[in-house]
Amino acid sequence: MFILKPHSGVPIYRQLLEQIRRMAASGQLPPGTELPSIRALALEHAINPMTVSKVYSLLETEGVLERNRGKPMTVAKPARTQSPLAKRVKQIEPHVEHLVLASHQLELSESDVVKALHNAWEETDERPVHRRERAR
Amino acid sequence: MSAPYIVANALGKSFNGTPVLADVSIAVEPGDIVGVLGKNGAGKTTLLELLLGFTPATAGSAHLFGYESYRLPGAAKARVGFVPQQDELINQLSAADQIGVIASFYPSWDDALVLRLSREWEVDLRQRIKGMSVGQRQKLSILLALGHRPDVLILDEPVASLDPVARRQFLEQIIEVAADGRRSVVFSSHIVSDVERLANRIWILKEQRMYWQGDFDALKESIVRVHVRATHALPASLAIPNVLRLQRNGTTATAVVRDWSADLQDRLARQLGAEVEVEPLTLEDIFLELHR
Repeated sequence: MFILKPHSGVPIYRQLLEQIRRMAASGQLPPGTELPSIRALALEHAINPMTVSKVYSLLETEGVLERNRGKPMTVAKPARTQSPLAKRVKQIEPHVEHLVLASHQLELSESDVVKALHNAWEETDERPVHRRERAR
Repeated sequence: MSAPYIVANALGKSFNGTPVLADVSIAVEPGDIVGVLGKNGAGKTTLLELLLGFTPATAGSAHLFGYESYRLPGAAKARVGFVPQQDELINQLSAADQIGVIASFYPSWDDALVLRLSREWEVDLRQRIKGMSVGQRQKLSILLALGHRPDVLILDEPVASLDPVARRQFLEQIIEVAADGRRSVVFSSHIVSDVERLANRIWILKEQRMYWQGDFDALKESIVRVHVRATHALPASLAIPNVLRLQRNGTTATAVVRDWSADLQDRLARQLGAEVEVEPLTLEDIFLELHR
């Protein structure tokens, strides 16, 4: 279900955290999906059970997962209210800064970059319908 | 949080005035899996033996379950399992008889667990220990340390002679021990990849001292390789804090940094007008960097 690489250098908890977060956001793990028990997931990947329980707890706090008494954790329904535009723009800032810096190094003009961005944008929009619907 | 199972304060040991371990302060909480790393002779075995109370400390203190390790009462000893680097099996016995000898010391011996594991691990109970391979002996030693379901399991290089399949079976058993969060495991190993999978805490010993200890995730996020790439010559001073090692070449520089924090990346990028990329390191890389 998850791809964990203990020897990649990225902490295992972070790999698992980001995968569940992404899979829940993209609908690959629809609301209500049951997650493996801490013990089962730890055994499957031969990793520390505490790592798994830490991830589950963090995602519960974030509202991505729901704890159910005596039953497996499940993926929560996404919150109705999306975070405000300013906050979402803030999240993309580091990527934009990176893009601008790389563009300077490659001696590209603003309009070159905007054009490339536009093309990339169009391309993702042509992906299969179900992806587009979810993005909206 | 419940009291830690193991506590050491400024723990040290000297032989005839020569220190073999100095100034170690640690704590092991229930549920912890601690990986102990260090080159040969760094003090790993000495540390484990001091924590277990096999030998008296010459400085500081070691406590197990709240008792001084060296004066551990019998009831507390029964809560500890230990796998020594050199096994202490009796050559003349069969595996079954050896198990019987050890089991007789413990009222809480779990026969069903030992039988199940001996089947899964392919340890032939009828075989004489004398005729066993090093790997078989190692498996039997681990079985003997698990049989009384100890609250604290301490293993000194437990997997050095195991094949990959047996090593994975061993790791799974450690997970079973730690899964309920009430028992702890401390193990030393040169097989860094096993430590990387299992440990939530890391102790790195270097030259008879605790060089680094802490949360494993924190270690991975704290020691990183930073690549700086600019289109202009970089200034003489890069002002990167806590550099362990630096290589530079005109417009580019690579630094291994300790105590890294994520906000440094943006700050450096702006200060230097350069692209700053952070490369996470594997535990093996970190260990090697700390020993350069």
